[in-house]
Amino acid sequence: MNLLAYIVRKALTAIPLVLGVTLISFFLMVYHGPDRTYLSAGKNPTEQQLAEIRHQLGYDRPFLARYIDFLGELTTLELGHSDATGEPVSRLISRTLPVTVALVLPGFLLGNLLGWILGMYAAWHRDQWIDRVVTTVSVAGMSLSFLVTVILLQVILCTPWGFNLFPTRGWDVHDMGSYLHYVAVPTLSLILVTVGYNTRFYRALVIEELARDHVLTARAYGAGPIALLLTHVLKNSLAPILTRLLFSVPLIIITGSLLLESFFGIPGIGKVTFDAITGGDQPVLKAVVSLTAIMLIMVQFAMDLIYRQIDPAVRAS
Amino acid sequence: MHLWRILVVVCCALVGCGTENTPSELSAPAVYRHAMDGVPGSLDPARASSVYSKFLAVNLYDTLYRYRYLSRPYELTPNLAESLPEISADGQIYTIRLKPGTRFIDDPAFPDGRGREVTAHDFVYSIKRHFDPGTLAEGGWLWQGRFKGMTDWKAAGADYDREVDGVRALDEHTIRIELNMPFPQLVHTLAQGFAALVPREAVEYYGEEFSIHPVGSGPFKLRSIDSARAVLDRNPDFRKEPFKLAGEGYDPGRQGQFGLQSLEGRHPPFMERIDIEFITEDAARWNALRSGDVHFIKTPAAQFDQVLEQRRPPLLAPEFSADYHLAAEQESGLVYTNFNLTNPHLGYSEEPDREQRNRALRCAIIQGFDWQRRNNTFFSGIGEIFSGVLPPTVPEFDTSGNAQAASFDPAGAQRLIEANGWTPETLPILEYGFPSSVTERQMFEQFRGFMEAIGYPRGKIQPLTFASFAEYYAAYSRNEVMLITTSWTMDYPDAENIMQLFYGPNAAPGANSANYANPHFDELFRKAAPMSASPERTHLYQTMNQMLIDDCVSITGLSRTLVLLWSKQFTMLPDRSFVGGYFLRFVDSSGAKTADQ
Repeated sequence: MNLLAYIVRKALTAIPLVLGVTLISFFLMVYHGPDRTYLSAGKNPTEQQLAEIRHQLGYDRPFLARYIDFLGELTTLELGHSDATGEPVSRLISRTLPVTVALVLPGFLLGNLLGWILGMYAAWHRDQWIDRVVTTVSVAGMSLSFLVTVILLQVILCTPWGFNLFPTRGWDVHDMGSYLHYVAVPTLSLILVTVGYNTRFYRALVIEELARDHVLTARAYGAGPIALLLTHVLKNSLAPILTRLLFSVPLIIITGSLLLESFFGIPGIGKVTFDAITGGDQPVLKAVVSLTAIMLIMVQFAMDLIYRQIDPAVRAS
Repeated sequence: MHLWRILVVVCCALVGCGTENTPSELSAPAVYRHAMDGVPGSLDPARASSVYSKFLAVNLYDTLYRYRYLSRPYELTPNLAESLPEISADGQIYTIRLKPGTRFIDDPAFPDGRGREVTAHDFVYSIKRHFDPGTLAEGGWLWQGRFKGMTDWKAAGADYDREVDGVRALDEHTIRIELNMPFPQLVHTLAQGFAALVPREAVEYYGEEFSIHPVGSGPFKLRSIDSARAVLDRNPDFRKEPFKLAGEGYDPGRQGQFGLQSLEGRHPPFMERIDIEFITEDAARWNALRSGDVHFIKTPAAQFDQVLEQRRPPLLAPEFSADYHLAAEQESGLVYTNFNLTNPHLGYSEEPDREQRNRALRCAIIQGFDWQRRNNTFFSGIGEIFSGVLPPTVPEFDTSGNAQAASFDPAGAQRLIEANGWTPETLPILEYGFPSSVTERQMFEQFRGFMEAIGYPRGKIQPLTFASFAEYYAAYSRNEVMLITTSWTMDYPDAENIMQLFYGPNAAPGANSANYANPHFDELFRKAAPMSASPERTHLYQTMNQMLIDDCVSITGLSRTLVLLWSKQFTMLPDRSFVGGYFLRFVDSSGAKTADQ
């Protein structure tokens, strides 16, 4: 099957998946999600006023009609207005999503890169003291609470009790210098809490690859450690690495950023989502939940294509 | 070695980039950064129901009245109105004149982009919006059934071009309000953010987005807002009114140390720019203050040991007093736990015997509740405990020392339970509702401990948790919660605003979440509510307070004490009570040095 036909087939199978995911998330939101009626009613509302509010919020419309409208909104990316602030949801997302990406990307990449380097190093020196040190430090890192890490780093790096080098909060980013200034401590926090998990993951992966026949053969041919790790180990472990990296992206954007955004006063999508949950802002929640689900489906789609390219066995099947 | 050099260079570069944010400049700061412990929702005055939204609304828009900056107890003073209203002899007709020449800020919503004059028609339009179902307004309850003809106006389709007898513009600068019955709290309600004046052009121009495009005539205008902060710029066209210490109720004895004398004769607003940071996490708020990234915080309780040299009254520790001012402010409201009296297990019953036993059970629960420990554990021991529901901030506060409701008597509670035939087997399961959070859970566990101490089986005290406050609020508005722990922040300094919490017609989904139904109480409420402050009214409210105590309606009460901390770089006296945001216009940095000296 050629690549184009493969893409078309995959895209067609993704459509029912998108419909199913959006239907389930919409159902949960409508019947089990937050209800803003009472918050919007002020004090001492009458039953008639509550009915008027439900009507204004569209809660009294049939489920199917609401779902079809929602699909239309998703298709056109006209996602309505936030119940809490009135801001168009699509503008809200396009304003906050890039901030969150810029916030978490350096920590995500560096955390993985550092984890990969440490993991490879530990695996190469398996059962030696260096491996034990890396493993112990990784477990310690995994035990660190994200909240405690953030508060400690803030105290050490951002206040007069420590070095007072960076701002405790803000996102007044206008050039690379200001970006680095605001992103430094959040990035360090993210690296510290993720590097343990990453190191353990990459170590296990490399140990498994190092035991394979083709690696032993390469060693027998006299391949040096760098060539062996980069050419024979890394290349063959790309599939699980990419899977981990790509599937982490939607989750880290929505959930991983919440704490950083709250503590560092950064106007990203994690905080917006949290506020929507606590404030019962259904238009924002529906959009975020559905777009996250769609993003995951797209990641899955991209993974299939990448597997096909990097793994001859998949291509052949 | 080379790697270390690179790291040092990168670190220096990162730090160097932020020089504009280094805190604690010695010169007068150009920006005042205010930390708020919540996030505002809508900035549309009609929907600004949270204290955070109101805080912004009263700075972006004008209200007819406001509270004097420094007066305690609080006193109303004209804001956009020329003077206090002329009130007819029967207390039902109010005539209010606006100051001429006040303008809305420039905005594309106006035909030529130039803000026009604020008129009486804007007030009429703004009030009507609260009764238009299309607005989703949250402040209409303040005036429900008050304005003559408003109910009919709404029923006829809420046509803004149709006049309402109860709220009319006699001319460009004169408002006439006609009430269905006397409502002495009306002027207080006109100081609320809900009563701010908005221009019809802007509401129609921005539609739903009016919430984030405020077009007002207040002292500030919005430059930007997101989930982390709002940036306000001084409104250069704000009316020029000289600051008068005496007019604002200055008390040199209590307020002399804040340097407010330097403001005399100057024209507010004084700051060119104000940043309002939304910081919900206590630790982040504290770190931000100490780093100089914000200049004001409500001090987290976890820091009291460090910040306070003594707690009652709160006194700043010497190591902080060089840099910060402190003000302790008593909350205008209370925290309390209502019994849902429609719940047959502990509420009203048709059977006289069960009715009596249920009442005794509620009284026993109240007697078993140790407010002092609650205060020490969760409110740092600086909250004010009192009997009934009238907090110390209202003039009707009962100082006679009747502490029956707030007294802790576990032995008495046990006796009451036994005397009324309750046994561990027959005691009903108590469902204690709360929104999910660590603190709320801890409060529940403490409550369970109190109840165990009076002989209540542990297994019969159960938590009823909700994912968010919105869900919790919806649940108890639907009568689905048995024990409702909540708080009430008064809208205005009048006991009527507290007593309406137990007025029968306000039963759930209204504010009377206890569903208290006592015809005698209701009769007294109807009698007292239209009265102006007087010894007779005080007596009525205190009688009603005693009724609530005798009927064991609610586990009351405690008013929290807020510890406000701000940098000495600023001359100000912050305020969180009764639409507290008004003080922002009086914040100044130019005279702060004088204050320090």
